[in-house]
Amino acid sequence: MRGYNIVFYKWLKACCIVLFILTAQCVHAQVPVRSYTLQNGKMFIALGKDLQKSSIDSFITKYELYDLDLQNFIKTGSPDSLNKLGWKIDIDNKELFVISKPLFSTDNINNAADKIIFTQKENQEGQFPNTGEQVHFGNNRFKNKLPFTVSDSVVRFFLKGNTKANNINLAGSFNNWDPATLPMIKTDSGWIAYVKLPSGKHWYKFVIDGNWKIDTDNLNIENDGLGNDNSVYYKTNYNFNLQGYTNAKRIYVSGSFNDWREKELLMQRTAAGWTIPVYLPEGTHTYRFIVDGNWITDPGNNDKLPNEFNDYNSVVRMGKPYLFKLDGFTDAKKVSVLGSFNNWKEDELFMTKTATGWELPYTLGPGNYEYKLKIDNKFTADVVTKGNIALVIEPNFTFRLKGFENAKTVTVAGDLNSWNPTSFRMTREGDEWIFKAHLGKGKHRYKFVVDGNWILDPSNKLWEQNEHNTGNSVLWIE
Amino acid sequence: MFVTIHIQAAAINDTDSLLSKKKFIPVQDLLQNAIADSVSCSIPFSRAGKLIIIRAKADTTEGNFILDTGAPGLVLNITYFRDYPATTSTDEEQSGITGVVSSVTRTEVKEFSFGCVKSTVIAADLVNLGHLENAKGIRILGLIGLSFLKQFEMIIDYENNLLYFHRIAKKEAATYKSVMLKDPSTYSVVPIEIWNHKIVTRTTVAGKKLRLIIDSGAESNLLDSRLPNKIFENVEILRRIQLTGAGQKKVEALYGNLNNLSIGGQNTGMMPVIITNLEKTCLVDNSCIDGILGFDFLSLHKIGFNFVNNKMYIWK
Repeated sequence: MRGYNIVFYKWLKACCIVLFILTAQCVHAQVPVRSYTLQNGKMFIALGKDLQKSSIDSFITKYELYDLDLQNFIKTGSPDSLNKLGWKIDIDNKELFVISKPLFSTDNINNAADKIIFTQKENQEGQFPNTGEQVHFGNNRFKNKLPFTVSDSVVRFFLKGNTKANNINLAGSFNNWDPATLPMIKTDSGWIAYVKLPSGKHWYKFVIDGNWKIDTDNLNIENDGLGNDNSVYYKTNYNFNLQGYTNAKRIYVSGSFNDWREKELLMQRTAAGWTIPVYLPEGTHTYRFIVDGNWITDPGNNDKLPNEFNDYNSVVRMGKPYLFKLDGFTDAKKVSVLGSFNNWKEDELFMTKTATGWELPYTLGPGNYEYKLKIDNKFTADVVTKGNIALVIEPNFTFRLKGFENAKTVTVAGDLNSWNPTSFRMTREGDEWIFKAHLGKGKHRYKFVVDGNWILDPSNKLWEQNEHNTGNSVLWIE
Repeated sequence: MFVTIHIQAAAINDTDSLLSKKKFIPVQDLLQNAIADSVSCSIPFSRAGKLIIIRAKADTTEGNFILDTGAPGLVLNITYFRDYPATTSTDEEQSGITGVVSSVTRTEVKEFSFGCVKSTVIAADLVNLGHLENAKGIRILGLIGLSFLKQFEMIIDYENNLLYFHRIAKKEAATYKSVMLKDPSTYSVVPIEIWNHKIVTRTTVAGKKLRLIIDSGAESNLLDSRLPNKIFENVEILRRIQLTGAGQKKVEALYGNLNNLSIGGQNTGMMPVIITNLEKTCLVDNSCIDGILGFDFLSLHKIGFNFVNNKMYIWK
C-alpha cells in the first residue's frame, strides 16, 4: 500500500511540474513569467529569465523574498543558498526557472493562547493604549487644509466641508472622548472648535451627526491598540528655523529625536528662509539641517556638541538641566560624561573644570539612565565606582526589598534597565533595600540581584514564568 | 418576559476607563423571582488589537478577559491566580494526531461572572499568559471559552462594541429569538455544529466544501495549505509572512485575499486570509480542521449565535 502511495505521489508530482511548465510557458509566450502560487501544499515561484532586474526587484519587494537572494541565483545559477532555505529547483532552463518549497507545519495551535499569538495581525506588537508616554517627537501632516492655528495655547480645530451636517462635535483625549461637550461651530467652509491644549500628543475624532469619524485631511492616524483609529494632533513646542538658503530646493531637519532619519521632516519655505514646527519631549536633542543633500549645522544656534565626523551637531534643550558633578580630579586634562542618554559617545559631553572639580549641566527627560565618566583616558566605572552610575530623573516608584541585612550588593534588574544586573544598585534604608525609579505606564518585569543571586520580589505576589524557568516579578503602572 | 439593558459604547481610548464607566447591569438579580432561568444583558467590550476584551470576575478577582470562542472553557492567567490549588495536574492529551502530550494544571473557580452570565464551580486551566499580555500591552486575567455560552444566544456588534447575551430558558428553547431578529429579511440563518468544543460551519469555495471554525480569539482567518488547489485558485497571494507558533517557533505562511467564500448561500466578498500548514492542528478525534474564521469574518456584519438551536445569524 505504502509503495503504491509513493508511486502515485511521484506520478502526481511529475504531472504537476509538467503542467506547471506548460502553464508557465504558455503565459511566457505573451508576457514574461512572474508568479507566486500555491499548489499541493507547496509554494511555487516562477520567473522568466528575460525579466528586467527592476521587475525582479519589485517582485522580491512585493512578496517579501529578500532572504532568497534570487538575483544571485539568476546571476550565478548556484542553487546553494536557495537549497539551504529549503527551496528546490524544479525547472531551470533558458527561458525561466521554477522553484518550490512546501509550507511546513507549526506545532499544533489548539492551545488557545498559542492560537491567539499565531493568528495575531502583523505590526501589533508593543502597541499600547494611548497614554502619551514614550512620545519621542511629532509633527503635524495635513493635506487639503492648513494646520490648525494656535493662539495663546488655544488650538482652532477645523473640519473642512460637511456643511450639510446638522450637528458636529469634537471629541478627543483632551475631553475624555465625550461626544457632547465640544460642539463645533458652522462656518462657510466647514466647522471649527477652540480647545486649550498643553504641548504634546493629542488624539481626536469628529462626531458628525452621531457618527465618529477620523479627520480625513490629517495624515497622522493611529490605532489605539484597542481597535480604533484616531487622528493625532501634536501641539508643537519648538520651531526649527533656518534663515536664508532661499535658492535651495529641499531642506530637511534630522536629529536624535527621529533617529537621524533623513527625509522625514521636510521644512516649509518662509519669506526669509525655512521652518518646521515640531513637538519635542523633555531632554537634550541634537540635530542638523540637510540642504539639498548637504548636512549643515544650524548657523542660527550657538549651542552645539561635537559629533563623530569631527564636526558639530546643533542642540535643543527642553526642560530643566541636571548638573553632573565630579569632585576633585582637578589635575585631569579632560573629563567627559557618557551614558545611555547619548549612546555612550565618549567625545560628546565634556565637563567644565571648576575650583573644586568638574561639572556639566545637561537636560534629561523623566526616565532611568546610567552613565560613567571618562577622566583623561580612564573610565570611572573601572576605577572609581565599579560599575556604571544610575541616574533617575523624576522617580515615581520605589522598589523595596526587606531583610538581607548581610548582603554586600543588591541591585534591581528588569525591563527598566535591559536586565543589567549591576547598574541599578539599591541602598540600605532601615531594614530594607530601596531603589527609586521612573516607571512609565504598562507592564514591568524585574528581579532583585542579591550578591549575584537573582531572586523574585518576595513581597510581590505577581510573577510570570520566563525562558529560564526561574520567573520574573511583574508589576503594572496604570 | 425579559429585559434588555442597552448601554451605548462610545469611542474609546482606554480599556479600563471605558469598562469602569460603562458598567453592565445584571438583570438576573432583578428578575430572579419573575423568570425562572431566562436572562438578558448587553455588555460593552473594548479591544486589544482585534480581540474582544470584557470585564469579568473570577471569585474576587476582577479584570480583563478575552472572549475566545475557540477556547473550550475557562483559562486563567496563572500570574494572577497563583494561590489557586491545582485540582488535577494529570497529563492531559492536547493533540490527537501528533501524540504530543503536555501537562495542564487545572483548578476550580467557585464563581465566575460577566454581565448576566454567571457560573458556579467551574474547572479552569491555569496557564502563563504573560506573552499574550506583552504582545497586547494590557493586563489579561484569562480567556472565556465556549462552555459559558452553551445555553445562550450571543450577538456580537463590532460596530458599536457591544455584546448581547440571553440565556435561553427551557420553555423558550424552540422559539426564542432576540428582538433584533424580528425581521427575517435583514439577516440570514446558517446552521452551526459544536464539534470538539468549537463552533464549526460548513462553507464552500468554488464548489469545494470546507469546514471552518468560527473563533473570536483569532484575529486573522486561516486556511490549511493542504486544501485542494481549486480553493487556492480563489486566493490572490499578496506576500510571504512569518507566524509565531507554539514555543516562539517561526513558521512560513502566505498572506492573501480569499474570494468566493460562501456561507449559507451568501458570498462573503473578499476577505484577508493566512495560508498555513495545519497538519498538526487536529482535534481530539483526529479530525483536522480546514481553517478558522476570525475577526476578519466576524466583523464584516453584525453576527449572532444561538447555541441551543445551533444557528448563526448573519446580518445583511
